Amino acid sequence: MNVLELEDIQGYVVRGYAHMMYSRFAYMKITDPRAFRKWLSLSWPDFTTAQHVPDKSKINDTHLNIGFTHAGLKKLGMKAQNLAAFSREFREGMVSPHRTRILGDSDSSAPENWIWGGPKTDEIHLCLMVFGRDKGHKDDLERDKAVCIRYFEQLESRFPDMGVEVVYSLDGATQPDNKEHFGFRDGISQPIIEGSGRVGSKDDVVKAGEFIYGYRNEFGVYPDTPLLTENQGNMNLLSTDAEGSGKKDFGRNGTMMVMRQLQQDVEGFWTFLNEKTKNADGSINEAESLKLGAKIMGRWQSGAPITLFPEKDPGVISDINDFGYAKFDSDGLKCPFGSHLRRTNPRDSVDDHGVKESLKLSNQHRIIRRARLYGEIFEGSPTNRKPKGEVGLLFTCFNADISRQFEFLQYTWGNLPKIKELYNDPDPIIGVKENPKPGEEQNFTIQDVPVNRTISGLQRFITVRGGAYFFFPSISAIRYLGTI
Amino acid sequence: MRQNSITVVVPIVQGKVWELLLRLAEINKEIDRGTASEFEQLGVVHFARWLVIDHGKSYIDDPTKRHPKLVFVVDFDGNLAEFVAKFCSESSNTIDSVFCFCEGYPSAENRNPQNRTSYLQRNLVKDAAVYIGAPGRTVKQIKQERELRDAIRSFLDSKSWVGVSAKSIHQQVKSHVLADSRFDFLNKSTVSLPKINIPGLVLVGLILILLLPLIIVWLLIVHFFYEVKDKNFTMKRSGLDSAYMTELESYEDFKYQNQFSQLVDMKTGWVRLATIKAMFLLSRGLIKTVFVQGKLMGIPTIHFAKWVMFEDNSRVLFFSNFDGSWQQYLGDFIDNSGWGLTGIFSNTKVFPKTNFLLTGGAYDEEHFLAWSRNSQVVTQAWYAAYPDLSIKNVNNNTKIRSLLMQSLSERQAKKFLKLI
Repeated sequence: MNVLELEDIQGYVVRGYAHMMYSRFAYMKITDPRAFRKWLSLSWPDFTTAQHVPDKSKINDTHLNIGFTHAGLKKLGMKAQNLAAFSREFREGMVSPHRTRILGDSDSSAPENWIWGGPKTDEIHLCLMVFGRDKGHKDDLERDKAVCIRYFEQLESRFPDMGVEVVYSLDGATQPDNKEHFGFRDGISQPIIEGSGRVGSKDDVVKAGEFIYGYRNEFGVYPDTPLLTENQGNMNLLSTDAEGSGKKDFGRNGTMMVMRQLQQDVEGFWTFLNEKTKNADGSINEAESLKLGAKIMGRWQSGAPITLFPEKDPGVISDINDFGYAKFDSDGLKCPFGSHLRRTNPRDSVDDHGVKESLKLSNQHRIIRRARLYGEIFEGSPTNRKPKGEVGLLFTCFNADISRQFEFLQYTWGNLPKIKELYNDPDPIIGVKENPKPGEEQNFTIQDVPVNRTISGLQRFITVRGGAYFFFPSISAIRYLGTI
Repeated sequence: MRQNSITVVVPIVQGKVWELLLRLAEINKEIDRGTASEFEQLGVVHFARWLVIDHGKSYIDDPTKRHPKLVFVVDFDGNLAEFVAKFCSESSNTIDSVFCFCEGYPSAENRNPQNRTSYLQRNLVKDAAVYIGAPGRTVKQIKQERELRDAIRSFLDSKSWVGVSAKSIHQQVKSHVLADSRFDFLNKSTVSLPKINIPGLVLVGLILILLLPLIIVWLLIVHFFYEVKDKNFTMKRSGLDSAYMTELESYEDFKYQNQFSQLVDMKTGWVRLATIKAMFLLSRGLIKTVFVQGKLMGIPTIHFAKWVMFEDNSRVLFFSNFDGSWQQYLGDFIDNSGWGLTGIFSNTKVFPKTNFLLTGGAYDEEHFLAWSRNSQVVTQAWYAAYPDLSIKNVNNNTKIRSLLMQSLSERQAKKFLKLI
């Protein structure tokens, strides 16, 4: 096992900064590459690393990370051959005819309608990620916000000198119980990067190469990292390729960051569930509506897995994550095969494979999720359905192989309707089409005795508002960019 | 009824490649619009594809000057000679509009079903190995059973079954569908699912054990005299030709099912040829005995797949009709059947490094994925008869039908209901 070079890895991939309840994501374009390179060459030590700080009082009250799009690296002046060393997914970006097709970004979610990252909006070069926390107060969103904004404004005052402009920015918050707007506790299950020093269930420990370039992945090989072929800048700042090609590895200790702004239709979601579970007299059956929600999601609103608590939400905020489906729920009678969480992380029960094989397959398609809420903080429920204004998630995830990880999850396990023995069941949260073809069914099947039940006519409650693929470089790669 | 397939490879008339490609693009559009009625009308075609190879787009590091060829593949129900004859009389418009660009095709004024048939027959390429995910199932049966399953599902959704025994539900379902004239076929014929042929499997095993000393010596020879000298494939996906990848992708992921066509050249020498032939022989043995229930070497997503060798055994074409995404399909290959693929494809030029025909190769994930994409060829037109069904659905539907018509115990009836 390799120990990760934590001091060279940007912190957000290893840690979620959950204690920093407020954050601002500034999507920017570079107007003066020379000025920005100069800023990078001076400011690279300011970026937050993944290094463990045992003494909590020594943790900074602000954090700073950065990601670059392919267009951004080009604008910054990377040479063509070096730019060509990146994976196709990253080079093309999130918007291409084929990619749009497999990600299911159509109708209202079509890139033409995006407010950032789409073909009709300004090109994005980088994302500056700013986090803040008031260390004197625990879980105080307003005070954290003040710290975050103050730090951002400090940076902002230098944007003209740095040669950058904000194209779009989005503020993201976390909540102490980490509930998203539909009201479900989120972010419970995360893979643990081998060698990161973090601990957890051994089934969740995943080879570092799945998330960080320069280390071996779950297949025992090195991920497709950008190796530089053309001399440029101070190459001595970069390590050589771990696989032994002799080339300089620009990717080492970096990874790929996927960002998607997902608007949530809270009212639509709970109205749909209420409608499907209403009493004979037409009134809302709150318990059944919540239960259907849990079946669809895979966990109750508290976070408790429905596989372990099949009848009712135990109520207390739950972090239970050490469970599988194979032993107690192989027929999907508790957590349906089509539920969002069972599909996107099938754990020990992939198709009809055995436990060991399933765990292996599941771990080939893991991502590290970093969702933050935007809009009014709102906790949806059958009776609380109308947030003020637009609300949603800024979905962020890290992976070394966008095609095999994020895109596979969204397309193969999310959008395609045939997980396990199912026929017409897309992922009820992320895979439903807004306008299905004539005659095309979109169902959610609840495995049950004596017969399975069909929840038909699924509707889409998520709208993609923007998105992009970013390279999330190592600290030394950031420093190197200052020298090109 | 048995399924068969044909592969036709014919040289294209000099200077006609472009026109032919345009025609194939038209056919592909017609298929997408659902107006490619000739395939549909035949009622026996599961999958069909047309592709042009060797027209200056060889991605296999190939110094040889090649003559462009058209490849035509059909998977169908029934007897080969009968199918070709029928196809040549009933689908003559389609055939003529494509093969008129190919060498040796009868001229417009002389065409008739007989000379079309003999043209196709003359240019047939023999299959090296064919896999079928739902052996015995005809197109008609697959469509009938889809309708049956959908009808049962809506019937079950139409009322509450709380407190009703599984056995009684089974009975009610049965009387419900039998009253529907669409399902008259249920009384006319019974179906049974193919079973794994244990004696056959034992025989294959015994032969392998008997041959083991020879196999070991063979592997040593292959390793020390061949593998160590191989030119290996070392590219990663990021290094592949981007425009070509875009072209491949422009034919993918429109339907639930997808196609894959691959062209590779054999390594020279009789040892490699004998090895690949032995692997095909073994594959045929296992396909007949073991891989009869919807999984090829553990891969649960393939409807029809096959290998052919052509041009004096110097080249290999692989065709597959599969469910879901390319990434899932190739991932399944790596996880479940790396040994089989490595055993076959390591005998072809520029494959990821292997050892003893068993390790490396397909298990070398990144290089194998890149190799697969790199050796893939564009399938210009592709027809699928039931693109909304997975092979699991197809097999499950037959199971439903078979159990529906049996008298079941309460326990068996519960199992039956789980399938729907």
